[in-house]
Amino acid sequence: MSLALAGLVILAIGDSHMAGRNYLLTNLHDQLEAQGAQVNSYGMCGASAGDWLYPTTVSCGRGEHHDNQMPVTDRNKIEKTWNINQLIQQNHPNLVVIELADTMASYGTNPFPRAWIYDQVRALVGRIQADHISCVWVGPIWGNPGPPYYKTVSRVTEMAQFLSQNVAPCRFIDSTTFAKPGEWPTTDGQHLTPSGYHLWGQDITNAIVRLKSENAIN
Amino acid sequence: MSRWKNRIAMPSLPRLAAMLGLCAGLGLAAAPGAGAAGGRLYPSGPPHGVAYLRFANLTMHQAKVASAAAELTLPTDDPHRAGQYDPVTPGSELAGSVVLDGKSKPIDLKLTPNEFMTIVITAGTDGGPAITPLHETPTDFNAQKSSIVLYNLDQGCKAAKLVAGPQNVAVISGVAPDALGRRLVNPVNVSLAVACGDAAPAVPVKLGQMAAGERYSVFLFNRSGAGRQALAVRDEMAPFRP
Repeated sequence: MSLALAGLVILAIGDSHMAGRNYLLTNLHDQLEAQGAQVNSYGMCGASAGDWLYPTTVSCGRGEHHDNQMPVTDRNKIEKTWNINQLIQQNHPNLVVIELADTMASYGTNPFPRAWIYDQVRALVGRIQADHISCVWVGPIWGNPGPPYYKTVSRVTEMAQFLSQNVAPCRFIDSTTFAKPGEWPTTDGQHLTPSGYHLWGQDITNAIVRLKSENAIN
Repeated sequence: MSRWKNRIAMPSLPRLAAMLGLCAGLGLAAAPGAGAAGGRLYPSGPPHGVAYLRFANLTMHQAKVASAAAELTLPTDDPHRAGQYDPVTPGSELAGSVVLDGKSKPIDLKLTPNEFMTIVITAGTDGGPAITPLHETPTDFNAQKSSIVLYNLDQGCKAAKLVAGPQNVAVISGVAPDALGRRLVNPVNVSLAVACGDAAPAVPVKLGQMAAGERYSVFLFNRSGAGRQALAVRDEMAPFRP
């Protein structure tokens, strides 16, 4: 059994992809644990980067998963947001994994809100950087260009490229390299099937293992 | 009234949008179903887009931005002459006035998505405010670099130039009056100055150690009696809250 991530205490945060029981909340969390990391995962449905900094509510539920316990989810409920400062104090991570893109990319709307995304991303990265904690930022996966999410190939590409230039000193994990557009089926144009989340979680884990082996993270 | 008080009491909120009053509709190109409606669990991005607005007071006296609902004081100490960028809703009409030495001039603004607008206030010939809006829609966001913009408010400087180091290497050049020039640079600590290509000596500016991912503004202006001057600040953006 490989323990490539032994010694890492990971705080994983994300949007709806991290908030459902069969989503990354289990499929990334468990694979990071299997590599020897101690993991605490939190997902807030609909949350953008700024929502982890300033108190507000999310409208479609939250989920959390701690170490080897069972995940806890509250779906489709209005919930208060978790705050990144409190989560860092509570969990003492030496690596923060951020999965945030779809809530900020303005799918279906022009123009691409680059200034707003820059502000959101820089604020969250700056908060983590202030505590000298390594971080990786996971970019968007492909979706369906039709309704209701209008997740087009061009906008996903634009978002991934923008994040790659603006998340430093976090390392960027480009999820668009993990599959071809349409290769991982979705349930609604944006969210994957459980097997898709398993593959995504596996690819993210492999990317983190590689970064660790390159000493690019603690 | 109460809205203004609330906004000022919480300076991280988009104060300018609140105090200048938002009216009119939104002129964005949106696909059907964009936003939280149309079967989505949640919106993706700001539903109406975002633009950013700030004021810079380059006069010797406190200025005020006023509307029927509120009033915002613009100080004269260098670190605070340029306020932070406040997020505003694109397409909304922002109306108010700028007051300097008891004289007032109206402002009526409408920003486009992703636009950054700096309203520069200098002393007019009548003793009241002269208002210069400077627009840009930057695309150079990059966490590995620093971004510098040079604003030329000196009508006597036909082609302002930002120069660096002892060799006066041009960083930004050819900026006409009431215009701006921007460039991405490596985040270094280097001496900077603004020159005009005339007989006057270059005006030094102090930015110190620039940081990766940060954005900086240099204002060149000419104040009556004090001559050509330059002000350098690190740009700040107020948090966006829907």
